[in-house]
Amino acid sequence: MKFTKVLALVMSLVLCIGLLASCTGAVNYAAENTEYVIGVSGPLTGGAAMYGVAVANSAQLAVDEINAAGGLNGVMFKLVAMDDMNDATKISTNYSSLFEGGMQVSLGTVTTQPGLEFKNLSADDNVFFLTPSATGDDIPANDNGYQMCFADGNQGKVAAEFVNANYAGQTIGAVYKSDEAYSKGIYDQFKANLDSSVTVVETSFTDANASDFSAQIDTLKSCGFIFMPTYYTPASLFMTQAKDILAADAVYYGCDGFDGIDNIEGFDISTIPQKVTMLSHFSSKATEGLAKEYIDKYVAKFGADTLNQFGASAYDCVYAIYGAMKKAVDEGKEITVTISASDLCEILKEQFSGGYTFENGVTGQNIKWETSGYVNKGAIQYVIKEAN
Amino acid sequence: MELFLSTLINGLSLGGIYAMIALGYTMVYGIAKMLNFAHGDVIMVGGYIIYVFMALKNPWLAILMAIIGCVLLGITIEKLAYKPLRGASPLAVLITAIGVSYLLQSLAQIIFGSANKMVTVYEFGSVTIFGVHMQVSALVTLGVTVVVMIALTMFIKYTRIGRAMIAVSEDKGAAQLMGINVNGIITITFAIGSALAALAGLFYLLKAPSISSTLGAMPGIKAFTAAVIGGIGSIPGAMLGGILLGMVECISYKITAIAPYTDAIEFSILIIILLVRPTGFLGKKRREKV
Amino acid sequence: MLKKFNLGHYINYIVIGIITIVLAVITFSGGRIDSSTLFLLEKIAISIILAVSLSLVVGFLGELSLGHAGFMCVGAYIGGKVAALLEPMLGNGVLTFVIALLVGGGIAAICGIIISIPALRLRGDYLAIVTLAFGEIVKSLFQNTSDETFGGALGLDTPRFDKKYLFIVAFVLVLITLAVVQNFIRSKHGRAVTAIRDNEIAARASGINVTKYKLLAFTLSATFAGIAGVLYSFSNYTVQSAKFGYNYSIEILVMVVLGGMGNINGAIIAATLITFLNTKLATVLTGDLAVLQNLLYALILIVIVIYNNAPALKSFRERFNLGVLWRKLARHKSDPSVITDDAAKWDVVPTKIEMNEVLSIDVVPPEMKDNTGNGGDV
Repeated sequence: MKFTKVLALVMSLVLCIGLLASCTGAVNYAAENTEYVIGVSGPLTGGAAMYGVAVANSAQLAVDEINAAGGLNGVMFKLVAMDDMNDATKISTNYSSLFEGGMQVSLGTVTTQPGLEFKNLSADDNVFFLTPSATGDDIPANDNGYQMCFADGNQGKVAAEFVNANYAGQTIGAVYKSDEAYSKGIYDQFKANLDSSVTVVETSFTDANASDFSAQIDTLKSCGFIFMPTYYTPASLFMTQAKDILAADAVYYGCDGFDGIDNIEGFDISTIPQKVTMLSHFSSKATEGLAKEYIDKYVAKFGADTLNQFGASAYDCVYAIYGAMKKAVDEGKEITVTISASDLCEILKEQFSGGYTFENGVTGQNIKWETSGYVNKGAIQYVIKEAN
Repeated sequence: MELFLSTLINGLSLGGIYAMIALGYTMVYGIAKMLNFAHGDVIMVGGYIIYVFMALKNPWLAILMAIIGCVLLGITIEKLAYKPLRGASPLAVLITAIGVSYLLQSLAQIIFGSANKMVTVYEFGSVTIFGVHMQVSALVTLGVTVVVMIALTMFIKYTRIGRAMIAVSEDKGAAQLMGINVNGIITITFAIGSALAALAGLFYLLKAPSISSTLGAMPGIKAFTAAVIGGIGSIPGAMLGGILLGMVECISYKITAIAPYTDAIEFSILIIILLVRPTGFLGKKRREKV
Repeated sequence: MLKKFNLGHYINYIVIGIITIVLAVITFSGGRIDSSTLFLLEKIAISIILAVSLSLVVGFLGELSLGHAGFMCVGAYIGGKVAALLEPMLGNGVLTFVIALLVGGGIAAICGIIISIPALRLRGDYLAIVTLAFGEIVKSLFQNTSDETFGGALGLDTPRFDKKYLFIVAFVLVLITLAVVQNFIRSKHGRAVTAIRDNEIAARASGINVTKYKLLAFTLSATFAGIAGVLYSFSNYTVQSAKFGYNYSIEILVMVVLGGMGNINGAIIAATLITFLNTKLATVLTGDLAVLQNLLYALILIVIVIYNNAPALKSFRERFNLGVLWRKLARHKSDPSVITDDAAKWDVVPTKIEMNEVLSIDVVPPEMKDNTGNGGDV
């Protein structure tokens, strides 16, 4: 008797599950949409929050502007941003809730590590993404992924060229985070492209000791030029602890991860005697052109605390996607508000791999994309702070 | 030579911090026979108390409040989480301790957020001695550690409470029969350990002026390693183990080829010591299984 | 003599089996299950395997392992690498998967044997620290590999098994895990392991080969953690070592503690519940609120362990527990003269008889007793 009771219980449980999983075959999750939905996953909190927040804010800024101008043939856009705390294990959940929530096109992820998971999940469902700031070399590996930022390999290469030209025959220092894809990726490329005449004193740290840098500083203390492909939090700690030990005329050289280092709470970059520079495609102190317009709009709406190139890049991403969709419509393609992510992806892929040019961006002019998904635009050498 | 000296100073000061934390572990382990997993997180709480009170720009007040706060916290943890389990299986106590550690970390994160907070307690600057450029804070850390170590040894050797501590650690039952308030002694031990943790928190802030909710986790585990290396239950052992571990860490970071493996090296040392000499260098052999 | 069919022994197979079959039928008949549901099912299966295998060490052997995620890490990297190497030859099918499982599980088993060497010498706190150290070492080794071997900081790219069918394979693995672990526990080996937990010296005195059984329990537990790792590598595109840290080991421990130590069905339910909550909370609790989840874990650990183990609460526990409640509700007449022979139901870790100390005082050699002390000892 007891057995039948349990069996009945189990069967009813199973029926419930069966009902939950409705049997309808492949569907278009965007079928109910009333706006075009753009999804993005990024660190809205945690150590890299400044980037995620900047991307979410800037993308929203661009979406609002496009909507105010009438959207795409009267159809509005909507941005959905989810928090992944720079943690790759959160991506499968974030991605599936974005996708099943009707996302039609994506800005991918803000950072690299989660992006490595995102690129494949989005390739399975054929969702187009143009990431503003996930710089990993492998991010655009599948044909649905494109980058607005420079890939790590490219950053490492550009940095190495700079060093080759300016520090030939000298000894330079380098510090990177060995357990972080972004930092290690750039550093490996940097090293591979360095001339043999340049001697590198290298040192590394890991997440477990990312606040105490005395051993690393001690290793690099006689270096006049320090290449530092890390994010801003460890960089600021390193600089604070090293300010009296390194020579006052030493130069820090970082990549896009340095962006925002002059905006950290409790860290006053003017107390650092050394010169701080970075490789970038956007200067938050620009005084003219589109960059200036963007900065004014952003600061007016969100304040200057989270103003950085990640946001600028996200702003461009939204406009680039909008521009490509508009061009496709002009060419006679039909993009309805309920178009499935996969169909939209085919249209956008054709545009981005077919010579689409994003003419006037905050982060560059006449931006084009290679079929590999890498961006093709110019870089600037940006001085965050001169030596005191 | 210069490299040797600067590595030595760095290693000694890092070792001093480890020793300070290891002392807390070793005293509690010796007396309450339990691994206080939350000890590392008391360091973090101490750091945050300093961060909060540094808003008043008075380092001495901040340090004092941190010590008082950590002592109260240590006593509270002991009373609420560990005391009810006295006499229960060691497994239950250990899991509760892990729970407390987790609780402190998540509370800190809820209150202060997950981003690092920057706080400068005092700018010591740096000096050049014998041609070696070094941080004054490293020397201060080392000096204070030595003073605390001597004071603690004297306290245990020459005061009634100290001798009662030795008695409790030798034989709880007999000590009770001799009229020693065992619960009181355990509370005092937790209080002293937590005060040392507050100091360790201060030294971390002097070394790196930034604090997050996981500040104490890794140093806590490493300091336990130090306590084991020196011989758990032994105060000179904690000092020795701490400094050995600090030196190993600094030297390992100096050698590029093995630098990324530093944590792995330190933990391997722990496993090897436990396999070869479970009582550590200065620990007493006990028949009793640990 | 045919043994009476005991439903209690098989209920978990039946429930998991039927759920799997129904979902499999839906999938094969062309039905659609959302990928979020599929991901959740995969995660639940991984959690169940981890919780059940950890339960073997924590609940039945009575030792704390804080390096369970480390074994999983070994399985994930080795299995993922094997699969990545085999994929060009054998395709991304069941054969690749089985080979990856065998190799990944095997290497994890070897790690289990290596870890049980200290396990034989150490107990309690020290052993917990050794397992923790092991987990961190494994993590750090894989983190620092070169890009060609295990991908280093970028993580290892692994082939992902077709997500429509992976959950079926995953639940079949859950059933295999259950079959092995439950049969082990219900055999004389299992009784030997629980005997060691309850009193090692008494167990040794009764002729139980303590070394052998500790080794067996650790190895078995590590093997299944490795298998869960291989499964993880198949359900993700990248294996990143940061995932397998101390925090993940604690999460598995929470499942075991919440389920009631030494209670397999409890562990299964707790694993399902926590994984479900994790996934659902992740979309609700964003930002700094996400840490509330860790707060919940901490409270679960503290409250449940104190409630179940505090000597002062003993009489309270005996009057008000779920078992009593259940018997009252079900009007179950329990006959105290019938002693249950199911080790899986011995769910409370009994308070130790202080036999260790009684015995050890007698056998302390005189030279070890010298407490001349250097004064500084506490």
